[in-house]
Amino acid sequence: MGDSSFPSGGFAFSWGLETLKADGIVCDRSGVEAFARSQLRWRWATADRPFLHRAATASDVVELAGLDCEVEVMTLARELREGSRRAGRSLLRAHGSMETPGVSAYRSAMADGNALGHLPVAQGVVWKGMGMAIDEIEAVSAYAVAAGIAQAAVRLALLGPLDAQSMLSALREDMEAVLVEKPPERPFAFTPAAEIAVMRHECGDARLFAN
Amino acid sequence: MSNKPEGAARVGIGGPVGSGKTALVEQVIPRFARRGTRLAVITNDLVTKEDAERLKRSGLIDPERVVAVEAGACPHTVIREDPTLNLDAAEMLELKFSPLDLVLLESGGDNLASTFSLELVDYWMFVIDVAGGGDIPRKRGPGVLQSDLLIINKSDLAPHVGVDLEQMIAEAEAVRGGKPVIVTNCRTGEGVDTIIDHVARDVLFDT
Repeated sequence: MGDSSFPSGGFAFSWGLETLKADGIVCDRSGVEAFARSQLRWRWATADRPFLHRAATASDVVELAGLDCEVEVMTLARELREGSRRAGRSLLRAHGSMETPGVSAYRSAMADGNALGHLPVAQGVVWKGMGMAIDEIEAVSAYAVAAGIAQAAVRLALLGPLDAQSMLSALREDMEAVLVEKPPERPFAFTPAAEIAVMRHECGDARLFAN
Repeated sequence: MSNKPEGAARVGIGGPVGSGKTALVEQVIPRFARRGTRLAVITNDLVTKEDAERLKRSGLIDPERVVAVEAGACPHTVIREDPTLNLDAAEMLELKFSPLDLVLLESGGDNLASTFSLELVDYWMFVIDVAGGGDIPRKRGPGVLQSDLLIINKSDLAPHVGVDLEQMIAEAEAVRGGKPVIVTNCRTGEGVDTIIDHVARDVLFDT
């Protein structure tokens, strides 16, 4: 499920890294690693993870639509919000074609304008439909964040391909650390540098990535 | 016609940087408009939104019907290995402008190895140009060999860049095993009507 060649559009998102590089704020391996750590700890663990959890245990599409609304209002930067929706819709499209259980009802609600298909909600729905346990779902989702950043960093020439693999290995400890912690009662995110970068990306010249 | 499938047909336009893909799109838009084809365009600009902005400002099409999809520095991936973001954009356009007959997908400038996945498009054309070198067909790149339509653009430049156009066409036809080759000059529109005829007959089924 976490295979980077699974066709769900993840390669087109940098989640702020493209602008951080263009601005000279992230320019080497230690910068990329710090970026990945902050994304894991202060966005994925505190916001994506609770939504993932609630999506995987939701009783119906109405509840999923409610989660989508929460993600929508919590996500300030436009390209983060749209990126989350586009990535979620792409994952759902692929699993719609594969007839993964639970996906078609959610996609119908989206087609009717009643749900948004944000990424953590979509991941919860899809991977639960694939029969995965919640701890597996969380591990794959956290890994997807780290792997996505590593790949974007390679394409931005911030890391060599081997360096990217070694960074992913180093990040395993961080992933493990957040996975054993209890998720917060109420979702929140605090990655101001990345969010400002994503806002600046909207009108910047650097446009290899969608955010 | 009864065999016309539901939903908009999707047609890809690929080819190397500078071969004239955007110029071709600018030439086909008014021709499709005149024949009543309801159209939208997706561009996969590689580095900027320049191609999308150029089409939006062209006055040829409602700017809302032109959408840019970022390729994450992977122009091949977004049209072949993982076309989901383009499929998503096509679906969004169809929802917004229903009914649409045709969605054109312009690839970011690429190289001779680029091909479109048939999960993304129903039909695709590959644009090369005489100034890129008369030997391109001989190199037998997958784009030249596999595209439904091969377009040799900038025919007017042949004498200026030392290319034997007749030989280039003959070699293109030879390596393509009978699949069509069309010669154009997208600055003047020469040859573009033939492209419209092919798309109308083979994709839109409404000649």
